[in-house]
Amino acid sequence: MTLIDRRVVDRAARRHRWDTRFAPYGYVAPYFLIFGVFGLFPLLYTIWVSLQERNLLDENAAHLVWLDNYTLLLADPYFWNAMGNTMSLWLLTTVPQILFALGIAALLNRKVRTRTLFRMGVILPNITSVAAVTIIFAQLFGRDFGLVNWVLELFGAGQIDWQAGTATSHVAIAVMVVWRWTGYHALIFLASMQAISPSLYEAATLDGASGWQQFWRITVPLLRPQIIFTTIIATTGNMRLLAEPLLFNPGAAAATGGSDRQFQTAALYLYEQGFTKYDFGYSSAIAVVLAIATIIVAGLGYLVTKRIQTE
Amino acid sequence: MTAVLERPAPVRPTGPAGKARRLARRVAGPWTYAALIAVLAGSAFPVYWSFVVSSQTPDAIDSVPPVLVPGGHLFENIARVFDTTDFALAMMNSIIVSSTVTVSVVLFSTLAGFAFAKMKFRGRNVLLLLIIATQAIPTELGIIPLYMMMSEFGWAGEIHAVIVPGLVTAFGVFFMRQYFERAIPDELLEAGRMDGCHSLRLFWHVALPAARPAAAVLGLFTFMQAWNDFFWPLVVLVPENPTVQTALSTLASGYTTDYTLVLTAATIGTVPVLAVFLLFGRQIVGGIMSGAVKG
Amino acid sequence: MRPKALALGCAALATAVVLSGCGSDTAGGGKTKLTIGLFGNFGYAELLKEYASTHPDVEITDRTASYSDHHKNLAAHLATNSGAADIEAVDTGYVNQFKATPDKFVDLNTKGGTELKDRWLPWKWEGSLSKDGKQIGYGTDVGGLAICYRRDLLQNAGLPADRDQLAALWPTWQEFMAAGKKFQEKAPEGVKWFDGGPSVLNAIVGQASVGYYDKSDKIVVGENKEIKAGWDLVVDGVQAGLSSKLLYSTPVWNTGFKQGQFATVTCPAWQMAKIKDQAGPEAAGKWDVTSVPGGGGNWGGSYLTVPKAGKNVDKAVELAAWLTAPEQQAKVFKSSGLLPSIPKLYDDPSIVDYKNPYFNDAPIGKLFTDAAKKLNPQYQGPKAGDIQTAIGNAMQRVEQGKQNGEDSWRQFVGDVQK
Repeated sequence: MTLIDRRVVDRAARRHRWDTRFAPYGYVAPYFLIFGVFGLFPLLYTIWVSLQERNLLDENAAHLVWLDNYTLLLADPYFWNAMGNTMSLWLLTTVPQILFALGIAALLNRKVRTRTLFRMGVILPNITSVAAVTIIFAQLFGRDFGLVNWVLELFGAGQIDWQAGTATSHVAIAVMVVWRWTGYHALIFLASMQAISPSLYEAATLDGASGWQQFWRITVPLLRPQIIFTTIIATTGNMRLLAEPLLFNPGAAAATGGSDRQFQTAALYLYEQGFTKYDFGYSSAIAVVLAIATIIVAGLGYLVTKRIQTE
Repeated sequence: MTAVLERPAPVRPTGPAGKARRLARRVAGPWTYAALIAVLAGSAFPVYWSFVVSSQTPDAIDSVPPVLVPGGHLFENIARVFDTTDFALAMMNSIIVSSTVTVSVVLFSTLAGFAFAKMKFRGRNVLLLLIIATQAIPTELGIIPLYMMMSEFGWAGEIHAVIVPGLVTAFGVFFMRQYFERAIPDELLEAGRMDGCHSLRLFWHVALPAARPAAAVLGLFTFMQAWNDFFWPLVVLVPENPTVQTALSTLASGYTTDYTLVLTAATIGTVPVLAVFLLFGRQIVGGIMSGAVKG
Repeated sequence: MRPKALALGCAALATAVVLSGCGSDTAGGGKTKLTIGLFGNFGYAELLKEYASTHPDVEITDRTASYSDHHKNLAAHLATNSGAADIEAVDTGYVNQFKATPDKFVDLNTKGGTELKDRWLPWKWEGSLSKDGKQIGYGTDVGGLAICYRRDLLQNAGLPADRDQLAALWPTWQEFMAAGKKFQEKAPEGVKWFDGGPSVLNAIVGQASVGYYDKSDKIVVGENKEIKAGWDLVVDGVQAGLSSKLLYSTPVWNTGFKQGQFATVTCPAWQMAKIKDQAGPEAAGKWDVTSVPGGGGNWGGSYLTVPKAGKNVDKAVELAAWLTAPEQQAKVFKSSGLLPSIPKLYDDPSIVDYKNPYFNDAPIGKLFTDAAKKLNPQYQGPKAGDIQTAIGNAMQRVEQGKQNGEDSWRQFVGDVQK
């Protein structure tokens, strides 16, 4: 080997070493840089802000109060009211979502002509904008001239002031959420249903099980991980449910979620404190509590799912 | 702002699958079709009804019995939306935000996903774990400091305040990594490396072409999500410089007396995503079913 | 050679960016760009055109947001010193909150305000004067009160449709409610006496000698007997079925005008522009205006402020002074019904004799100038706007049957004293 050859090889080797050792960091750097500055840092800084009494309109008066915001928060009936509403909406959205999604998936799992059309049809709600759809639904649920009340009146029901009642407002908001997400979860269920071995059904048929029994005894248990996944998504989604309650109640008091806060969700309470009163300290404390709640729920769900899958 | 967990993999067939499975699937009867058509109608109704109102005179919105068929005033109403409000600016802003965010998310996710899937480096697993973990936390919860930062930078009210935090998503990186793991055999890259190819060239000539289907799905989802994003733009933007979604919120807040205008704006604001959806519906369905989850 | 050229290129680019950054506040052709941030209907469309035609060096853009969004955003913009318009309108309900931080605004007293001072009603001028004597805004209109009513609906229910007879029928709010009960007996289904409890209550609050605050900025609404009596009266009316239960300034309220769901609505002068917009040309002549029960009172009215962070404060001050000058206020009154805050105009024949054709030729000039002369200025505290929203929520709780009057009142008082 001549001297020149070796130099060329050396340089190539050095370059290669540099490439394998450092280049990967270069590839992941943009993500971590941007996420670090605009994602992670604000999240962590929220904790710091939550320990202060701090209002945007009077920044100079900001000072540390340690856990005062949290003590206030835990004794704040409006916070618990918002958490209660979030829980109620969680129940009202999750259960119908799963049931409808299972049903729709079972329908789509049959041999259907124009299946792409139907599949696209069921996720259409998922791609529309929350703002637009909430405005539309708010109109449909109008007290005096809403389509929903008009239909109900055809069946002899009285006029319902959907925004006014706790239960009725929750139902209306739940309809918006369920409408948006059912099709999406149906497709996830469908993907799993298609992977279930037909031999299981054949055996069951031989044992004389009806289609209905097969569905509940074979399909649903096998879909358990997906169902839990749906539950987690619905839960974390509920923790940040904001656009629906906000736009359901237009007017000066939109952020309170109804005259008696009957449909103010936790995220909307955060918004009210943070961006109508600009009480950043208190609102950050709400954010931290919500984040912890979300992590606990998501973590639990994750563990349960893992367990089921390995079984 | 995506925040999702790793979705559980579909149950794998335990017995002989393939052709037998297809045969075993029940053929849909008339009831199935009837039920599916009902579902379809329910899915489409609110969007359809908003279109109906946008094509009618202002009287239609609160008439009893309700009007359910389109009228001939669509273009007139659209013209009124653009004349009386600054909806053109909102559309422009939304287009700029969504396209920038889409290009950036796809690019950076592909780069990072490639590195995580196909390159070995110290700290890789820790960093990957970090990405998975951050998916579970709603980053919205950091909006207060984020807002403080944006006003410190003098960006509050400007659309870069909406663009910049959306430039990368944990979900995107994770999704592309999963794809690269499956789609590109290690041998192919190894052969390239033996030939002394720089990893950037491998990425450009081997990985990127192979990633096109996944990148497309990611791009579609990112675009639709950026278009529909509401919370952060609502907080950081001002009514004078809105995106479509915040403009709708302002319009609906009660100072416009003409609600037909609001619903026409809602209809117009839905058209771009609807167009994307109609063009690429198959890919979107495929994306959801194969695990391209968005939250 | 190449690296140098490149460096030069970068430097040139950087300079260009900086230059364009500096120049961004002037439009092409050396025009000064002014923005003006409004809410509701100020009736400025024609005036701004007129100003632009006489001031070719100025280009004006106006932005309008809803009442609450406007003030909420303005607070944030001032706090962060960014994003505010060159001129920002501020409502009476919020002016005390903003005048607590006078340094965020141009002190108009240093820009010729002291010479203009005598234009305005003394209490209007003082309303936007900070504790240390800085003037943050020029007054636009005042919200002198009246009642707008549907002639046809009243007539059909056997009530007089004539303004003077009605004014004689309800010298007090008690009598107004009594007339309502009579109306309700014969009213067609779906039509109520008034639009909603919150708007009637706001008028009553506006007439009280003390409102939500005392002069030391202490919230006293909990002990305010006058307001509590008004509250009880409205609750009584609501429970007698006189209310359409529609909250003012919401989409359903707008629909209520169009559909004729209520016979009367409390009408601060600025409300007339809204009614005309909402009820539409079909309802021309159906609406009329008469005196409000309970004497003079004020609800709303605004100021034009010039935030200090603006880039063209001098031009902005000039425009604000022009828009609030007597000639312009007179024009706005005729076009949109906004009642001037200029006492000189209350005796001006062109104002006093003005009749509004939309409102069945009601002599609104006479009516509102009389109301303005009787006006009893009330001190507004820092969060008066927020308290007004809270009392609206409280009244809605009663209307929606969620709480009785006492419980709702107690919750309201607790909320605002937090």
